[in-house]
Amino acid sequence: MSSATTFLDPAALMRIKSLELRAKVVVEGLWKGMHRSPYHGFSVEFSEYRAYVQGDDPRYIDWKVLARSDRTYIKKFEDETNLRCQLVIDHSKSMGYGSQSYTKADYAATLAATLASFLMKQGDAAGLTTFAEGIEEHLPPRNRTGHLRRMITELERPAKATGTSLAVSIGQLADLLRKRGMICLITDLLAPIEHLEKQLALLGAMGHDLVLFHLMDRAEIDFTFEKSAHFRDAESGAERFIDPQLARETYLKRLAAHREQIQQSCDRYNVEYHWCPTDKPLEEVLFTFLSARQRKKASKSSAKLAA
Amino acid sequence: MTWLFPFYLLGAAAVIAPILLHLRRRPPQDRVEFSSLLFLDAQTPVPVSKRRLENWLLLLLRCLALILLALMFARPFLRSESAASTSPDRATLILIDRSASMRRDDLWQRALDEAKRTAQSAKITDRVALAVFDQKLTPLWTFEEDRTSPASRSTEFPTRLASHSPSWSATHLDRALIDAVALFDTNTASLKKHILLITDLQEGTHLDALRTIAWPADLRLQVHRLDPANADNLSLALAASDSTTDTPVRPDASAKTQASTIRTRLANTRDSRLRDFTLAWKDGPKSDSITAQLQPGASRILTAPPNSTNATTLTLTGDTQDFDNHLYIAPPQPRTVRIHFLGDNTTRDEAASPLYYLSRALQPTATLAPALSADKKLPAQSPDIIFLSGATTNAETSTALRDFLTQGGFLVHVIASPNDATLIKTLTGLNDLTITDGDTTDDYRMLGEVNTAHPLLKPFADPRLRDFTKLRFWHHRLITFKDDPTKKLETLASFDNGHPAILTARIGKGTLILLASGWHPGDSQFALSTKFVPLLYGWLAAAGFSHDPAASLIVGDALPLEATQSHTITDPDNKTYSLKPGQTFTTELIGLHTITTASRKQTVAVNLPPDEGRVLPLEPQKLADYGIKLAASVDLDSATASADQQRLSATETEQRQRSWWWILLILLAVLLLETWLAGRNRQTALQTA
Repeated sequence: MSSATTFLDPAALMRIKSLELRAKVVVEGLWKGMHRSPYHGFSVEFSEYRAYVQGDDPRYIDWKVLARSDRTYIKKFEDETNLRCQLVIDHSKSMGYGSQSYTKADYAATLAATLASFLMKQGDAAGLTTFAEGIEEHLPPRNRTGHLRRMITELERPAKATGTSLAVSIGQLADLLRKRGMICLITDLLAPIEHLEKQLALLGAMGHDLVLFHLMDRAEIDFTFEKSAHFRDAESGAERFIDPQLARETYLKRLAAHREQIQQSCDRYNVEYHWCPTDKPLEEVLFTFLSARQRKKASKSSAKLAA
Repeated sequence: MTWLFPFYLLGAAAVIAPILLHLRRRPPQDRVEFSSLLFLDAQTPVPVSKRRLENWLLLLLRCLALILLALMFARPFLRSESAASTSPDRATLILIDRSASMRRDDLWQRALDEAKRTAQSAKITDRVALAVFDQKLTPLWTFEEDRTSPASRSTEFPTRLASHSPSWSATHLDRALIDAVALFDTNTASLKKHILLITDLQEGTHLDALRTIAWPADLRLQVHRLDPANADNLSLALAASDSTTDTPVRPDASAKTQASTIRTRLANTRDSRLRDFTLAWKDGPKSDSITAQLQPGASRILTAPPNSTNATTLTLTGDTQDFDNHLYIAPPQPRTVRIHFLGDNTTRDEAASPLYYLSRALQPTATLAPALSADKKLPAQSPDIIFLSGATTNAETSTALRDFLTQGGFLVHVIASPNDATLIKTLTGLNDLTITDGDTTDDYRMLGEVNTAHPLLKPFADPRLRDFTKLRFWHHRLITFKDDPTKKLETLASFDNGHPAILTARIGKGTLILLASGWHPGDSQFALSTKFVPLLYGWLAAAGFSHDPAASLIVGDALPLEATQSHTITDPDNKTYSLKPGQTFTTELIGLHTITTASRKQTVAVNLPPDEGRVLPLEPQKLADYGIKLAASVDLDSATASADQQRLSATETEQRQRSWWWILLILLAVLLLETWLAGRNRQTALQTA
């Protein structure tokens, strides 16, 4: 990524009312940028030709290419390379918070729409699950005309639920997703994470590829409040009198510990963790995501080779 | 520093409010929506002990503004100048009201006590003078006397005051004060001048003349108002008389009916508790009295009850203050006018004869009692007025008539034939005077010119009464004379053909009137016209027998006396005064006065001045409206009045100094500064935020 690369300011992006258009803007920019980038040809599971190495199944040699170029390449089956990605969005009340002109939910929706749009553009299937205290909506992964529109309609629906129960939701999700695939979890993770680990382990064991987008508002990260006030919990409605000047230190310490805990869990269960403050440009998030996928794939293939 | 309204200083306690407000760090009422309280612990608001003052400069300004506001409302002033005035010696004139209203309760005694107390409390170096007043000022002890023998002041005052008691006069405070100013002589020039006015200061006090003078700057008036226990009062006064009583043509007019037209004005004081009153003639039967009600503050014109006992005093009962409850009415005293008609008495009832009309026109009135005699000869006793119409006179009668005229008689002569010229020549001395019968070819003559300005035609001075067009003359005589160098004959009226109709001449002391046409129907319509009776009574008035009723007199008026005669006057106390011609007599008592001259005896009623009945007390401040400088420290009869007076003088001093005005300016400056400072603080706060 060159430093000259300019990303769209999320605030400017969020001003676009249509979620579909927003996703399109991000994807188009990324798509174009990719042609200029040194990571040309990267994709989630980009179908490709690979030089034949000893031990490969000779069935997969592309004979046509061999005939044309006298080189042996292996062609992967399309069906095999196709990715099934389930976007799991946190729809709890806490996602409705935003210190800027948009909320975390807006950001999450845009991120999901962008991902879905991007994946479907390259022929992968994308599905959508929204959850709060439990699963609210579930669209299985598809790659059909109109599926993206359905997903976007679903994403535009405002959050209603009050609490969040990540553990329950993921448990339910595990029942719904039978086929292996990628699960992109987009949430602010503002809940105790004790039970989370267990569910992540379950999904991992089921063979799912887990990606966690951890969304947080800038105000939540830095706790930049000045005046003392009664702070109200968006989910429970509980009120507490807080003097930010006094509370900031503790808050930041606890938040750091929380993130540390999440990080550790992710590492333990091989979950890909993305830290997404909501003022981070979406392209950058997407780009980091794609880069990470690429690295992961590379390491996987090298591991395979080593084996 | 003294305060006009010290109670407002309590308002300064309001400074506690900004101090508390500044001390108070408000627990934030703001609500902030936050995603999760997962990482936040509840905290308690800042404890009280940790409070400290914020923005102390603002606080200071705000407190100052409140204190200034309280100061401004308390109206501070410096009493130094009024306090300084008490130190040097004083010249005090004690002025005691002795008007009729001081007869109420024990007001007079209290006035005397106050005067004595003031005299005793004065220093020996002070100058004290004493005067009483009603409608005029009477000095009893002057500053000069006080200067020569100040020690005898305390013994002299009671002695001199003992000879005075409340009079029956009106309260002319204005005249009294104007005269009192002049009593301060050169002896008092270096002293603090001061008048102590002891009065009931009633509403009826005359003050108007005070506007005509400039009150001396160094003279202060101190009012000691005497308030009776009860100011409720019903008063009785004579109202303007009904105009119908003046009309002489009331053939059946008796004393009773005349009395019934006496109109009185009754008044009740404001806020009075009195309602019921009875108006009756003194010693009259109860059936003749009027009992009615009068609302507080109301006045009412009431016709006097019938006077069956010929009483002279009308009495009002119903209140406790007796001094203004009597109204004296002089009994009707018609003057006898002896009128002689030189002619045949038998024609008195013949409708064609002049006497017929004369006898009917001359009816007795309230003031005149005409006695008409008729004979062809002059009576032995000389009459007041002689009428001559159609009778032939011999030389002897002519001479008698001339003598009558020269001695001051009044002769009305109707020229009936050319033969009368002889008599007129004898009377006037005009030898070329000729009389001829007037032309009879025309239908009638009317009056052309009437000299209404002449005293003999005074009844027609009013332009509304000058319509003579209905007066027609069938027959008249032409009077011509050429040589009248002394203008002896004066034409009062002339016919429309230019010939004289009425002529007059002064002969000796007497008056001669010549008529060219008679009033009886044979000659004219004169006797039947509305002009005849007024003309006759006008002539009676010219002869000295006016039928106008005497004006009602009040105490202080001079009695109507004739300048040429000497009089004997008997006042209501039966004291007799003998007056030489030219002397006047000013009345001092209410009641009936008898005036006796050589020829006649007359009773005149003198009443209380109506203003004395208005007894509600005035505020002493009212005098300040007339430019009088009231003393700063005034002690009044009652404690509340005294407090009021002190408040009054304090108000004056405060108004002069106007210190609140400066406080207001400072207050505005402080508020501006506070606004600017608060604005700047806020701006800084916003910028840092």
